[in-house]
Amino acid sequence: MKKVKFFSLFSLLLIVIFTNLYSVETKFSAEFWSRYTADFSENQLVKSYFSLERGYIGLQPTFTDKIKGRFTIDLFSSDKFEDGAGIKLKYAYVDFKMPVNDMSLQAGLIKTYFGTIYDWNYATIEKSFDDKEKIVSSADYGLSMNGLIPSGFGEYALSIYNGEGYSKTGSDIDGNPALSLNLRIIPIVGITLGGSVLYENHSLIVKADSSLTDTVRLCYSGMGRISFGLIDIWGLYVAKNKDQETGAGFMIMPVLKLSKIANFIDMEIVGRYDMFDKNIDSAELNDSHNRIMAGFNWNILKDSKSGNPVIFLQTDWERTSYEDTTKAYVDNLSLQLRYLFSGKIK
Amino acid sequence: MKKLIGIILSVLTLFGFIFAKDITMSGSTTVFPIAQLAAEKFMDKNPDINISVRGGGSGVGISDLILGRVDIGDASRRIKNKEIKKAKENGINVFEIPVANDGIAIVVNPSNGVNDLTVEQVKKIFMGEINNWKQLGGPSMPIVVISRDVSSGTFDTFKELVLEGGKVRDDALLLASNNAVASTVSETPGAIGYVGLAFVSEKIKALAIDGVIPSENSVKDKSYKISRKLYMYTNGSPKGEIKSFIDFILSKEGQEIVKQVGYLPIN
Repeated sequence: MKKVKFFSLFSLLLIVIFTNLYSVETKFSAEFWSRYTADFSENQLVKSYFSLERGYIGLQPTFTDKIKGRFTIDLFSSDKFEDGAGIKLKYAYVDFKMPVNDMSLQAGLIKTYFGTIYDWNYATIEKSFDDKEKIVSSADYGLSMNGLIPSGFGEYALSIYNGEGYSKTGSDIDGNPALSLNLRIIPIVGITLGGSVLYENHSLIVKADSSLTDTVRLCYSGMGRISFGLIDIWGLYVAKNKDQETGAGFMIMPVLKLSKIANFIDMEIVGRYDMFDKNIDSAELNDSHNRIMAGFNWNILKDSKSGNPVIFLQTDWERTSYEDTTKAYVDNLSLQLRYLFSGKIK
Repeated sequence: MKKLIGIILSVLTLFGFIFAKDITMSGSTTVFPIAQLAAEKFMDKNPDINISVRGGGSGVGISDLILGRVDIGDASRRIKNKEIKKAKENGINVFEIPVANDGIAIVVNPSNGVNDLTVEQVKKIFMGEINNWKQLGGPSMPIVVISRDVSSGTFDTFKELVLEGGKVRDDALLLASNNAVASTVSETPGAIGYVGLAFVSEKIKALAIDGVIPSENSVKDKSYKISRKLYMYTNGSPKGEIKSFIDFILSKEGQEIVKQVGYLPIN
């Protein structure tokens, strides 16, 4: 582990030197999430801890007006980790602008353009639904052709990934590529509709000791968003077919933006409901669960020049209930302070 | 009864304070002088309306409008497709209002003997192919290139009209505002930079480009090639106080303000 941490820090140092030598401009950003979490089971406090849940340190060099890069590492620290702290490379890619308008090719450790995972801005402290239910990972190694539909009518991404996600390592990595298509359209102002498909054929490369029973992994999602004035509602349906099981579920998340009522109340009230059934073909398994969340977000301090949030307070109450009546419901209460810095190195 | 009326009036006053609709605007440092002076004159005429004006750059103004933080986003470039998409997602229907014309002046230190360049020569200077004033008929002196940061609307326009997508030389000094460029050029004998027409003063010298000096007439008749429009963006067609303010800027009096701060009327 120490070797990995040393390697990550050494890589970061190389990236800083390299980008400074060859970039026209380099922006840096740092974002830290300090969190207090209290876990309850049937109203009994079972665990309570503070953690540095995320520490994103990022560099965004512009090499030419057609080539940009993005490098982000994630530092995290908490008693819950075996080594107390960890470091992960989250994004490392180069973005090449294509000759066609508003089209670019990304290569490296890139975002996974699926569902809502790639533009999830953590209105709730909880992860996006597709991330939480492990439908796909938020970042993966691969190539992606991204583009915009003219006149702001939407976006698309056609990607090829390893399909295993950025954090999975070791001998159980599947070597088959995954293909993905994501499309979002905005037919009228304030209404967004989208769909994503991820397909991976496991039969192309099969290991001798493979325990896979299916030849195909298929994930798909449909999303909708309605945003008018102070109301912003997100909806997502996801399904995943793997190992002869089809899991599916949905999320709905209404956000009330109080700043739309009065500028000086820069707060949001957020609710969210998730439901996921791990195997929709078997009614006997009692393997579904749901989550109810409620919280608020408060922009405590904004950057005086850009107006972007600098210090951001979030609270979240979350109850997870299980179809299996032998399992007790679990409550989590989280309080999180997110603080952000950004600027230019060069 | 009087007590009840008093309470109702107090509550209405409090709600009036909380929900009072002031006009907020932010964005381009180039558009800022127009926005600020127009806001002052407009508030003099309409004391019940308060307008707050902030700079930050074209990207900030458009981003603020998209996120619903301001009523008007000021920009010295046209809104990009990805910004329109983001605005639509957020329920913001971007409405574009050109408010002024502007020329981007190529400026040097007044002590520099060079008075005239071609667009091609400016491009070569900024891309690093010409490094000494001697190559342009001037004194033997290294050229110090001063540019704007890449988030600036002025940079975007300069890149499009002069560099044609090319890259500014690596050792160029990137500054955050028109004033910073003007100030640095005035203090550096070998410097060359570019600023909005309104920022040209006697401390710096604006060069003729392809034989045309940047001026009101040359920008208006389009003989000066490095020129652009300045914009204000709103959420949908302006209404209420915002419409009154925009109408004021586009009025004869508002366009006089545009001229007063060194830009050119839109019509």
